[in-house]
Amino acid sequence: MKISPLTFNKDVKEDILELFGKTIDEEEYIVEKENINQRVLTPKGEEIRLEEWAGIVQGSEAFVKSDTFSLMEIAKKVE
Amino acid sequence: MKLFDKLKTLFEGKFGDIFTNNIIKFFDFSKNTTQVLELKDGQRLSLDVSKGTEEDKKKAKELIDFIVQEEKDAFFTDKSAEKTQQIKRNLPLKNDEELLKFYRDKLKPDMLRAIEGSLVVKNAWTKGEDISELKRDIACKYPNFGNNVCNLVTGGYFENYFKELYENMFEQEDFSILDYQEEVERIVKSLPYMVFINRHKSYEEFSGEVKFKLDKLKKYGTEKFKLHGLGKDNVEKALKIIEEYKEDNSVVIEKYINPSKTIITAIFRF
Repeated sequence: MKISPLTFNKDVKEDILELFGKTIDEEEYIVEKENINQRVLTPKGEEIRLEEWAGIVQGSEAFVKSDTFSLMEIAKKVE
Repeated sequence: MKLFDKLKTLFEGKFGDIFTNNIIKFFDFSKNTTQVLELKDGQRLSLDVSKGTEEDKKKAKELIDFIVQEEKDAFFTDKSAEKTQQIKRNLPLKNDEELLKFYRDKLKPDMLRAIEGSLVVKNAWTKGEDISELKRDIACKYPNFGNNVCNLVTGGYFENYFKELYENMFEQEDFSILDYQEEVERIVKSLPYMVFINRHKSYEEFSGEVKFKLDKLKKYGTEKFKLHGLGKDNVEKALKIIEEYKEDNSVVIEKYINPSKTIITAIFRF
């Protein structure tokens, strides 16, 4: 795995989410646009707030959090 | 570059003139002034999907799918991409791996994970990098002990002190790994009001340090202070310090020494 040279700015997080049929609920958690009661989960089953969303990795839309421990798992796979 | 080719294939029809520029070095999704695709600072090709048609959005989604599913790359915010690279270059290697291996079957998974994260912090700190965010994450994830583990790892305590503690406890007849786990946890949590007696400083130096810390703790009202020592010499050093307070009515001292007199914990209450 590599980190893509194409990144996104935090100001456009919601625009990117929209491309994936996602939005945020009142508490700023990422949710399915078609069912805002369904929060998007990380592969470890954690809910993700917009602020702590790092991005996407391969998998069925695997959403990743931006904390050190989540990124450490990714870093171990980066070539 | 495959990414550039993909971008070109998707958007050339509409923004062909941008791709004739050969000095594009960076790509991002960010807010643009008017266009879906803009060249910023002459080098950064920026995509703003909010300014695009449904067709442009489909193309942007196709581009991200290409990155993630075909190239198998991580598609991250600029900040998270940078943070992942920082973590990557500071991941535990060689000696750090040995250290983790030693504790793998001895400590609870949460404690081990906090140590692993703290090793990343230590390595970054050694290189003079900014560690504030990494350290904050560890403290947030493990509010009871994360910050203290970080300080103890940076101070090298897991390389020596806690290994020595294990060896000393292991020699005891009634040793159980649970006792060791609890003792490590107790010590880690006590860090703000703890002094470790070791061989690197003299009795006089520790005596002064204990006095200084006690005065400070009395002033700020934590009502508790701990001394911890490993090895016969350090147990003796600790006992000598405790002796200094036997006439002091403002302090009550409880001391715990193992049967072979190689581990001492003294709790000063005031």
